[in-house]
Amino acid sequence: MEIEIKEINSVITVALKGRMDTPASQEVVPEMTALQDKADKTIVLDCSELTYISSSGLRIFLSLRKAAAVKGGEVIIRNINDDIRSVFMMTGFLNLFEIENA
Amino acid sequence: MAKNMDTIKNQASRQGIIMILGAALLLAATSIIQNYYAHRGLLLEAEERAEKELTISQLRIENITGPVETAVRNTAWMVEMNLSKPDTMFTLLRNLVEINPVLAEAAIGFEANYYPEKGYWYEPVVARRGDDQFEEMVLGSPSHDYFSLEWYAHTSRTGEKIWSEPYYDESAGRTTVVSYTSPVRDSEGKIVAVISADLTMEWLTDLLNDIQPYPNTYGTLESRNGQMLVSPPDNPVPGDAVYYARHIESTGWLMSIFIPRHEIMRNVNRVTWLISLLQLLGLALLALIAMKSVKDQSHLAQVKSNKDKLDNELRIARDIQMSMIPKTFPPFPERKEIDMTAAMVSAKEVGGDLYDFFIRNDKLYFCIGDVSGKGVPAALVMAVTRSLFRSVTAHETNPMRIVSLMNESMSDINDNDMFVTFFCGVLDLNNGHIRYCNAGHNAPFILADSVEELSVMPNLPLGVKAEMVYREQEVKLPAGATLFLYTDGLTEAENVSHELFGEKRAKDLLSCGVSAESNQESIIDGVTAFVGDAERSDDLTLLIIRYMGTEDKKVKERRLVLHNDIQQIPQLAEFILTIAEEKHLSQSLSMSLNLALEEAVTNVILYAYPKGADGLVTIEAILREKSLDFIVSDSGRPFDPTAVPEVDTDKSLDERPIGGLGIHLVRSIMDDVHYKRTDGKNYLSMTKTI
Repeated sequence: MEIEIKEINSVITVALKGRMDTPASQEVVPEMTALQDKADKTIVLDCSELTYISSSGLRIFLSLRKAAAVKGGEVIIRNINDDIRSVFMMTGFLNLFEIENA
Repeated sequence: MAKNMDTIKNQASRQGIIMILGAALLLAATSIIQNYYAHRGLLLEAEERAEKELTISQLRIENITGPVETAVRNTAWMVEMNLSKPDTMFTLLRNLVEINPVLAEAAIGFEANYYPEKGYWYEPVVARRGDDQFEEMVLGSPSHDYFSLEWYAHTSRTGEKIWSEPYYDESAGRTTVVSYTSPVRDSEGKIVAVISADLTMEWLTDLLNDIQPYPNTYGTLESRNGQMLVSPPDNPVPGDAVYYARHIESTGWLMSIFIPRHEIMRNVNRVTWLISLLQLLGLALLALIAMKSVKDQSHLAQVKSNKDKLDNELRIARDIQMSMIPKTFPPFPERKEIDMTAAMVSAKEVGGDLYDFFIRNDKLYFCIGDVSGKGVPAALVMAVTRSLFRSVTAHETNPMRIVSLMNESMSDINDNDMFVTFFCGVLDLNNGHIRYCNAGHNAPFILADSVEELSVMPNLPLGVKAEMVYREQEVKLPAGATLFLYTDGLTEAENVSHELFGEKRAKDLLSCGVSAESNQESIIDGVTAFVGDAERSDDLTLLIIRYMGTEDKKVKERRLVLHNDIQQIPQLAEFILTIAEEKHLSQSLSMSLNLALEEAVTNVILYAYPKGADGLVTIEAILREKSLDFIVSDSGRPFDPTAVPEVDTDKSLDERPIGGLGIHLVRSIMDDVHYKRTDGKNYLSMTKTI
């Protein structure tokens, strides 16, 4: 998978592209963990091109969300597809995240 | 002219009578033989069942008497240790009765004046009085002189540890008891007392009443000296009974069971009656037809030759014969495992071809045969052979036994030097496995990839040698393969130039992978064309069996083996995708399955094996019509993911743990999740309905 991180007007947008399976999640752990330091800001996880996510990816999302809660920031998940939405439903993530769909 | 007519008429009647007498004799012989074997078989079975029941009952009896013997001997030893303390005897006796619920009473009779302070007699007794109630008594008086009772007298004299004869005991609750007695010796080895434990008899009666291998069976139990411990019932079922006995050495008892003979023979008698009735009907029909033909003969004697009359009789015999073989095709339309057909093309004169088949317990029993010789005798032998096949297969499942028993019977009654070539097989419809035994018949063809002759041992035909030892062979028919059986009427069919049809022509006409009926048509058309206008001299019989395999072809299996390396996960995704495409699953279902499997497999890859150690994880998929099974297995450390507590998805952010989502997803996606540990491996089975 690929990730692209941009910061515009103190809003950080992370574009996640492709399959976020276990090996892919392990690869992006360093960058995603680094983001926790900036969790006082608004972080948008742009999932428009995310096709798949497993529990290792969900764990990264949850850690970031917890860090934001501590530091007073925000995590917004944007444009998840129906399959990933159903995974969010099964895991109760729909209640934990702010979800924005276009 | 009139005289000539009478002669013909007389001749015809005589032949009719001879034929009927012959048939009657043969049928009677078959009945007797069949009855004999059936009786013998049932008696053997009864004996086996009776022996089994006796063994079980013996074990149940010894299960009661054995512990009593041990307890009494132990108590005797305790008494010997405590001889100086006469009052401890009650405690010892009480222990003995208390721990052995079948004991009604226990007593120790001491020799005269053993304890001077206790008097001439001293017999402490503990008797059971209801549950957990015990009464202690001291018996022994001029009116209860135990020295004269058998239990005391015998054991004090001989020192034997022994079960007594049954006797009526007043103090043990006025019932019949048997006692187990053991001597008590002082330090010098002299017998100073006898200990006795009384066993009530009700449980024995109950136990023997339980023996019911056949209705109305009853059992008896006799003591060493022939006294009845358990008597026969007051009104046993009248009639002859078969009796089996067992001597129980430890107690000296003789246990017998009596099975009414008519209960053992109940089934065979019914069948025998039915067969006899059918045979009588057949004979009556034969007689009627013969008489009618005699009448017809007398009317038409002027124009009919003797030969015509004979032909007529042969045709009648043939009609009767043909009515004995199965002729409805397909014979088992409900059995998709099998496609079969058979045909018997008759020559002008009757031969004695036969075939027969039936299905029992998912097995097809089939046979084909050819009687040597021609005419009525051959037809009658054919009828006998077919009846024998049915009666022997009624209780035999093994082709070698079937052929051997038929051969014994036919050799016994074969005075005319007639014999039968015979091939008998049993096809297991679940797997295509055939066990077969040949008796001098020509080898069938097997049609799988090509047309081949089935390997058969020739052996001798039936009816040649009673003591012939037949051997059995086996072959596996792959699904779609055909077994083609025939009589020599096929290969020995002649054309006008007296050429034989031969095996080569037959093989060339047969095709692999086509229906039984299609092969039958090719052969019959081929032979008909070959023979042309030549007169057919022999019957031609075909029996064609095509094995279609078992039905459940829809189940498929797929398998993937991965190393414990997380980089192999994409291979799993591809594996699931292939399955999803094959089963035409929706994209979201495919993704869910991928996710559940990834979670299960990741768990193994990351945690099952010690860090740095190589290990494997196997994923098996079973693709059914309406469901998919996945089994993830590994030989790592024991771990049951289903034992991990459920994640509470309603908890607030603060309380939500980071982990535990994997197994939660597996549970949410799959319909059924099971874990087991066997042979050092973890198995996680998951089922998804599709």
